[in-house]
Amino acid sequence: MVEFSPQVAETIIRAAALLGAGFAMIAGIGPGVGQGYAAGKAVESVARDPEARGNIITTMLLGQAVAESTGIYSLVIAIVLIFTI
Amino acid sequence: MNPGPQIKFYLFNKEYLPVTDTLIVGWVSVILILILAKYLTSNLKMRPEGKQNVAEMIIELIYDQIEPMLPNEGWRFLPFIATIFIYVGFSNLIGLVPGVTSPTGDLNTTLGLALVVFIVVQLEGMREHGVWGYIKSFAEPVIFLLPINVIGELAKPISHSFRLFGNIVGGGIIMTLIYQAAPALVPVPLHAWFDFFVGMIQALIFGMVAIAYISVAKS
Repeated sequence: MVEFSPQVAETIIRAAALLGAGFAMIAGIGPGVGQGYAAGKAVESVARDPEARGNIITTMLLGQAVAESTGIYSLVIAIVLIFTI
Repeated sequence: MNPGPQIKFYLFNKEYLPVTDTLIVGWVSVILILILAKYLTSNLKMRPEGKQNVAEMIIELIYDQIEPMLPNEGWRFLPFIATIFIYVGFSNLIGLVPGVTSPTGDLNTTLGLALVVFIVVQLEGMREHGVWGYIKSFAEPVIFLLPINVIGELAKPISHSFRLFGNIVGGGIIMTLIYQAAPALVPVPLHAWFDFFVGMIQALIFGMVAIAYISVAKS
């Protein structure tokens, strides 16, 4: 069994927290793909029916806002890991 | 990031009522909105001109968001939704002033707004279906789903507040890093993006998600 001194243990915890913050932001991939997909579909719909442009943009923004939630959660977790530990 | 309370009051050697940046900037923006609203709506005419056009444009923009989602109740919900929309939009814009942090970059502000929306959503649901009918609607289609529905309902204010908070704080952190790397000229277009564009879009989304929650509770 290896015993760590308090300083070493603290350094390891700090390093692990920073690494964890980096890993948490992998979740940024999800909203990127999701929002891009929604925007692409919105462009297709506007091309098919230019009259409904306003409605389509509103719906797209609402959907993108919901898709963004997971990315925001990961951002908050990363901020907490960096600034509090 | 918020540096914590700047001013502290002491009563009987006990600290109470810490005054944070958020509180000060929040109240300043409330007073500025009040002055602006008084100025824009003074001396109204049947044929709008000048400043009255601006006021009507803002109100119609918000009204056009409410009416399709809550048919025939646009005017009833306009004061509530417009208050949220204008306050959040103005709070995001005030971050453009150098050295001022947006009140919406603090979870206290956004969670407070989201809780107000949460209470309005519950009251509207009860108004529409009756108290017992609304509570029963959580146990549909089978009683089995009751805990999942309740947790889903309680998660709404959390995701609602964290969305605005995360966007503004993320922008603020990036701006702080940019200011350290390049203090002049470079931050100007980024301010336009993070404070102006993202701020306006987030205010619109915060209001629209509130409308969507109300319309879900009423259906």
